[in-house]
Amino acid sequence: MPTRTYLEAIRQGIWEEMERDPSVFLLGEDIGAYGGAFKVTEGMLEKFGEDRVIDTPISESAIVGAAVGAALMGMRPVVEMQFMDFIACGFDQIVNMAAKIHYRWGPAVPLVIRGPSGAGVHGGPYHSQSNEMWFVHTPGLKVVAPSTAYDAKGLIKASIRDDNPVIFYEHKFLYRRIKDEVPDDDYVVPLGKAAVRREGSDIAVITYGAMVWTALDAAKELEKEGIALEVVDLRTLVPYDEDAVLRSVRKCNKVILLHEDTRTGGMAGELAALIAERAFDDLDGPIVRVTAPDTPVPFSPPLEEYFLPNARKVVEAARQLAAY
Amino acid sequence: MPTNVIMPQMGESVAEGTVVKWLKKVGDQVERDEPLLEISTDKVDAEIPSPAAGVLAKILVKENETVAVNTVVAVLDGEGEAAEAPAVPLASEKPSAAPISEAKPAPPPIAAGPTSAPAPPAAHPGGKVRSSPLVRRIAAEHRVDLTRVPGTGLGGRVSKKDILAYIASQSAAAVPAAPIRTPGAAPSPMPAAPAPPRAGIPAASTGSTAPVVFTEPTLVVPMTPMRKQIAEHMIASRRTSAHVSTVFEVEMTRVVVLRARHAEEFERRNGIKLTYTPFLVRATVEAIKEFPILNSSVEGSNIVYRRDINIGVAVALETGLIVPVIKHADEKNFLGVARAVQELAERARTKRLSVDDVQGGTFTITNPGVFGSLFGMPIINQPQVAILGVGAIEKRAVVRDDAIAIRSMVYLALSFDHRIIDGAVADQFMARVKHRLEHWDEAVL
Amino acid sequence: MLYYLKLTRESEYRIERVLYRQGKIVGGVYVGRGQEAIGVGSAIQLAEGDVALPSHRDFSSFVIRGVPLGQIFANWMGRGTGPTRGRENTLHIGNLKLGLIPIVSPLGDTLPVACGVALTFQQRRRKNVAVVHFGEGTTSRGDVHEAMNLAAVMKLAVVFICNNNAYAYSTPTERQYTVRDLSVRGPAYGMPGVTIDGNNVLAVYGAVQKAIALGRAGGGPSFIECKTFRMTGHSAHDAAEYVPKELLEQEARKDPILRLEKVMLERQLLTREGLVEMERRIHKEIDEAVAYADAQPLPEGATAVKGVYCGPDCWWKS
Repeated sequence: MPTRTYLEAIRQGIWEEMERDPSVFLLGEDIGAYGGAFKVTEGMLEKFGEDRVIDTPISESAIVGAAVGAALMGMRPVVEMQFMDFIACGFDQIVNMAAKIHYRWGPAVPLVIRGPSGAGVHGGPYHSQSNEMWFVHTPGLKVVAPSTAYDAKGLIKASIRDDNPVIFYEHKFLYRRIKDEVPDDDYVVPLGKAAVRREGSDIAVITYGAMVWTALDAAKELEKEGIALEVVDLRTLVPYDEDAVLRSVRKCNKVILLHEDTRTGGMAGELAALIAERAFDDLDGPIVRVTAPDTPVPFSPPLEEYFLPNARKVVEAARQLAAY
Repeated sequence: MPTNVIMPQMGESVAEGTVVKWLKKVGDQVERDEPLLEISTDKVDAEIPSPAAGVLAKILVKENETVAVNTVVAVLDGEGEAAEAPAVPLASEKPSAAPISEAKPAPPPIAAGPTSAPAPPAAHPGGKVRSSPLVRRIAAEHRVDLTRVPGTGLGGRVSKKDILAYIASQSAAAVPAAPIRTPGAAPSPMPAAPAPPRAGIPAASTGSTAPVVFTEPTLVVPMTPMRKQIAEHMIASRRTSAHVSTVFEVEMTRVVVLRARHAEEFERRNGIKLTYTPFLVRATVEAIKEFPILNSSVEGSNIVYRRDINIGVAVALETGLIVPVIKHADEKNFLGVARAVQELAERARTKRLSVDDVQGGTFTITNPGVFGSLFGMPIINQPQVAILGVGAIEKRAVVRDDAIAIRSMVYLALSFDHRIIDGAVADQFMARVKHRLEHWDEAVL
Repeated sequence: MLYYLKLTRESEYRIERVLYRQGKIVGGVYVGRGQEAIGVGSAIQLAEGDVALPSHRDFSSFVIRGVPLGQIFANWMGRGTGPTRGRENTLHIGNLKLGLIPIVSPLGDTLPVACGVALTFQQRRRKNVAVVHFGEGTTSRGDVHEAMNLAAVMKLAVVFICNNNAYAYSTPTERQYTVRDLSVRGPAYGMPGVTIDGNNVLAVYGAVQKAIALGRAGGGPSFIECKTFRMTGHSAHDAAEYVPKELLEQEARKDPILRLEKVMLERQLLTREGLVEMERRIHKEIDEAVAYADAQPLPEGATAVKGVYCGPDCWWKS
């Protein structure tokens, strides 16, 4: 089975969907001749032509709006945001147009907005954000965040086939750093299902994106101290796998909620409320969050390092929670 | 050099202990760590191993006498250490010269006590116990007084580990486990072997086999903690449910023949004995699926149907009765049930049942027949609503096609809660069980 | 066209000044009084496969494209069997089969959507057009500019129709932009731009016809500014006291319906009796439509949480 990087897996997934379904097409800045800022769409213009790989002006709002119009007419557009930080420029079209059309008057809006997000590459405040919660909070949208190359391909395919607007968060730190065995065949990873990356019994760590790897590193460290972490990868943030979360909490009775996103209004808050509501009697310790602080993402390496959650921070939190 | 045997401190809040039984007589040779006596305290009943090798020279505290912790209860002659023997060590460790008062709560040998070291006092001053929602839930389910549970968590908190260890130590002393209002099942075990009651299965609870020797017109024997609990639970169950019983006579010929034919091959292939229990469990499960109200509970004015069918199967131990639970019995096939029964019985006998093994039952099967009873009217195991008592399987003369035939018969008695189960439903349920057993068609091998 | 103009005027009168005041319509009420020519003159030319993205001032577009009048009233009245099943009100009515895509309240959002629609025509090599309506106030929003630029760059068959009714709520045009005619923005983005009398339905018809022809021929987008006047408040709750009375009176004289009636009577395309008969028919039609709508049930509260996501068991298909 071939080994592919996370980025190659995404490229392959999009490519396969383009081949499989002529209504799939791409819009974005610099995605055609240039192949995309991160080269995700490399080769696609040559293969699929100008009608289906469209280089647009710098108009996030118009691009998203046009995608909505095309989706209403039966196409399946895949919009690239050069950096997910710029998704804010198209915010209105996403939350007021795309998200609400089906609810308001019935038709499907099958579009995908995808792009690189996340920090750890010295990108500064506008090339490092994790802004997924803006869209998690908007009913009508689905939000996906793969952490492995295998999942990245399976989930982009599933997202393209989904009849709802899907916001697809690729983590730029993982693009070339992680590899996986990625089958060449047509497989999908269903939206809305988490994956247990590591079984454990002492503390459940619920997380997504690049932080899955951070949690696994922490788990290896903690294993030596006899603390067995269970790592649950959400994979989809809306709709998220409540059963998987609760199952792991009920099994381990202690939980750490981990994300790279900033603290207030982050996914951890939502999960903490769910756990307190539904698994209160299964808790043997307080619900713990490990997140970035409430600041924009700083540039200089020592600042970014302080800002980001890492394995050491997870280990410390786990030690304290284990001793509770 | 003589060695003192002292009443150990079983838990930091325990102040005294009762000598239940001397396992050795004066004059007997005793090896180091050999069980010497049995004691009972508020928290736990335990076997005390001898602190040294030697001859049991003097018994200073008689059976059923209660003395303060650290009282010398006996003296051993022979090689041994100084008088300051510490509280009972775990099997592997030597008794050190450490003064008694520093002894940590020594776990009873038959249970897994709190193994991790430190200090935090199990006594919770002011009655306020720090724990957690999970711990409180477990405590409630097992009717455990949290103030008695030593806490090793932060600040003396009672953690999950602590409460589970405490409960395991309790059940090893064979408290009839199972949720909230615990078993009212008649104290009878399931047959581990075929029809004729196995000789030698000890009668149930602690105390009933103690010899009764009269020196006066009355002999007052205080109840052990476990006996007290059983007494309470029996009464509570009677008070709670509207107990009604219905008895069915079932022809077991088919099952008996099947069992006889396949027992050897079954054991050879699967490594477990083929008993009647899996037949009964399977028939019960099938009937429950058709009449789910038999698998429910009453909460206030609600009937709470339970999706999972967890069949409790009563097992007798020397120290008492216990009801391990076959979880999701409906999802297991014949072999799966047989295996589950075997494994649970094994764990029960070797005192390795976990909390999970004895929790969560939704229906109980018990066997008064093992001692020869034709049928019993068992007490419902709260918070369940029905219990099936299996009588002795015996050959009897019965009428078949207007002629007398000799068949293997058994009486099945169902006690059920008439608050929510009417006679008609109970009888239809039993008819199903009867039908399944009489027309058994599931492959055994 | 006169029929539609009069039908629109009478329907909206019924909505704004009758049903709303009777409490049968709740929430925001926006009508296009005085601007009817714009919707009529454009929608009447649309062919099968064309898509209209009308504004809240273009009641006639919906009727002309085929939404039953009763359904429009049912939507206004928030009924559970209306086109949005009570989820939306006013003219937020969509129907892909009829080629209608409604606005969202952040006006201007539909312009990029129109571009997307026209993009699919291009991809599918169809000669259809997308016609999108918006007000002069809306042209201050970024989406308008992004869309116009995109349409021109990609040569999309979009007809941008600007309804310049002189007031955006209480904001007159002087405070909205500094150019005299918004049509200069057309060439600024690389497309033809014209300013016409929006109260002259024939002028509207002509300009739109040209733009549609250009689009069908692959010539790309056009911008048409229709100057008109808002003859009522921004909404039913707005008394519009900020509009000088003299201005209102002056503009009333340019009423599009009266003008067309006059022309048709003069050219004997219509008789007085015919006019009366038309009005009678219109009243009857509206009466029936209102009665139909009023008889529709309100939606059940619990349906509020259905149909958020589109899936195999789509609530909307039930």
